[in-house]
Amino acid sequence: MHMADALLSPAVGGIMLAASAGAIAYSAYKCKDDLDEKKIPLMGVMGAVIFAGQMINFTIPGTGSSGHIGGGILLAALLGPFPAFLVISTVLLIQALFFADGGLLALGANIWNMGFYACLLVYPLIFKPIVKKGFTPRRIAVASILSVTIALLGGAFSVVLETLASGITELPFATFLGLMMPIHLAIGIIEGIVTTGVLVFVYKMRPEILESSLINKKIASGLSLKKVSVMLLIFAALLGGGFSLLASSNPDGLEWAMKGVAGTTQIIATGGVHDNAAEVQKTTAILPDYGFKSTDGQGSAAGTSVAGLMGAGLTLLLAGGTGYIIYAVKRKKEKSA
Amino acid sequence: MSAITDSMNTIHSLEEMAEAKTIIHRLHPMVKLVTTMLYLVLVISFNPYDVTGLIVFLFYPVILMALAEIPYKPLLKRLLIALPFSFFAGISNIYFNQNIAFMLGNIPITFGVISFFSIMIKTVYTVMGVLILIATTPLPQISYQLLVIKVPKIIVEQIMLTYRYISVLLEQVSNMYTAYILRAPDAKGIKMKDMGIFVGQLLLKSFDRAENIYFAMKCRGYDGNYLYAKPDPMKKSDWIFMLSTCAMLILLRFFNLSQFIGSFL
Repeated sequence: MHMADALLSPAVGGIMLAASAGAIAYSAYKCKDDLDEKKIPLMGVMGAVIFAGQMINFTIPGTGSSGHIGGGILLAALLGPFPAFLVISTVLLIQALFFADGGLLALGANIWNMGFYACLLVYPLIFKPIVKKGFTPRRIAVASILSVTIALLGGAFSVVLETLASGITELPFATFLGLMMPIHLAIGIIEGIVTTGVLVFVYKMRPEILESSLINKKIASGLSLKKVSVMLLIFAALLGGGFSLLASSNPDGLEWAMKGVAGTTQIIATGGVHDNAAEVQKTTAILPDYGFKSTDGQGSAAGTSVAGLMGAGLTLLLAGGTGYIIYAVKRKKEKSA
Repeated sequence: MSAITDSMNTIHSLEEMAEAKTIIHRLHPMVKLVTTMLYLVLVISFNPYDVTGLIVFLFYPVILMALAEIPYKPLLKRLLIALPFSFFAGISNIYFNQNIAFMLGNIPITFGVISFFSIMIKTVYTVMGVLILIATTPLPQISYQLLVIKVPKIIVEQIMLTYRYISVLLEQVSNMYTAYILRAPDAKGIKMKDMGIFVGQLLLKSFDRAENIYFAMKCRGYDGNYLYAKPDPMKKSDWIFMLSTCAMLILLRFFNLSQFIGSFL
């Protein structure tokens, strides 16, 4: 699932680098808080373990094929979410530098796809709640398989979005999705089973390892910021993705006003600077007119959705975040009262 | 296990290459980092149908490899491994876009074909760019530059520690794997039902190893701060190289050299 530089546009690569950088900065900050010095060599060694562990091919019975572990959920269960995320990022960087396994500009996207979902989203929201009541083989199995599968599906979905937003491949959204999701569902289940095996073994031999990483949670600040962010993301995705398709093609308020005044919804500017600027914009706009660049000049529904997704997501996160936080804090206060 | 020994050899050979003393190796690591990133950004900024402008960017890796005396065979081997995924992405383009762009004699060239070549060329260039960076700059130097650009200390420490221990862990995994295979004659890999114990054992041994490493570091004065060798400050020649290379790359991006040359024919 490592993405290459060639399949991304600078804009998408840049956005994902920024997103991952933010996540890394946050994880580093959290690690400073609840990490003791001893964990630092442990994280380094775990990075090497995951790196070496990914070289182990295991045979999948019945298929004649082999696979290898990814390790996001496994690491999070052993080290805690924030150290695990840093370790995965490190491994991906080394793989990109030494093995050309994923590009450098694509590193942000790869860290996000393969580290963020598993360590910072799925582990705290799905894995931890299931095993919180106690580690039994069944709970570990359910938690592992569910977490790994969802994390992988999230990563695969992001790969599709990032590739399409870059406009490099002509693969239609539905086809790409149809290829990626089932494969990663299968991979997820297999890796989930292997993760279960490993965690059950570790728990039997040294239960304190799993239990201590569970306790290492941040001091409650009265609000689960993560729950808020997830809700916002889902909301924005629904809004941007689904509803933008229903967007009206009638001129919006401003265009309608312009039509009344100038007789046209667009002012055509001519002259040297405008032409040059238009040229630059033509080459740099990744989603002109909210659609993907296409050779026959017609937009595509998928393009509108993705552009809508990105734009809506950002706007909603900024604007809606304030309102939701106020609402959630109020609800928490009512609960504890 | 051949994949493991391959990885060990790759890392060792790149490490060795990076210790050479050519003019490129002696450049300040920040210069190489900046020019590599700029190169990557410019290469992937080409739209999928602009292949002529893209081709010119071959100058950068070719010249650098020559100046840095990097053996091309191992680099090409690494490149070949990275190509297949881009190949399939490109092939799908040929299938999905069959609008004809122009005719080459009697052969119709579709937009899909053009974008296929664009993807392949971009892959080659970007992979070479990164490999040249790592073949001319030791990872400790790159890590220090990451610190300079304010990457959190803890992750830079992780990079250094992971890098240090990869060969140790690879050897351990190799031993464990060999021990397993010797006892399971017909197995082509670890059986899935044994993965739990295999990886579990590896993890437990690694936890103990990490604890010993921590004690060893403490005995040598570790106080939470990993120590780095600070490289020499940037010289005038470093600045000249960086600025002129960046200027040339940016110029090549916006001025289509291929068409310019072709217009003389």
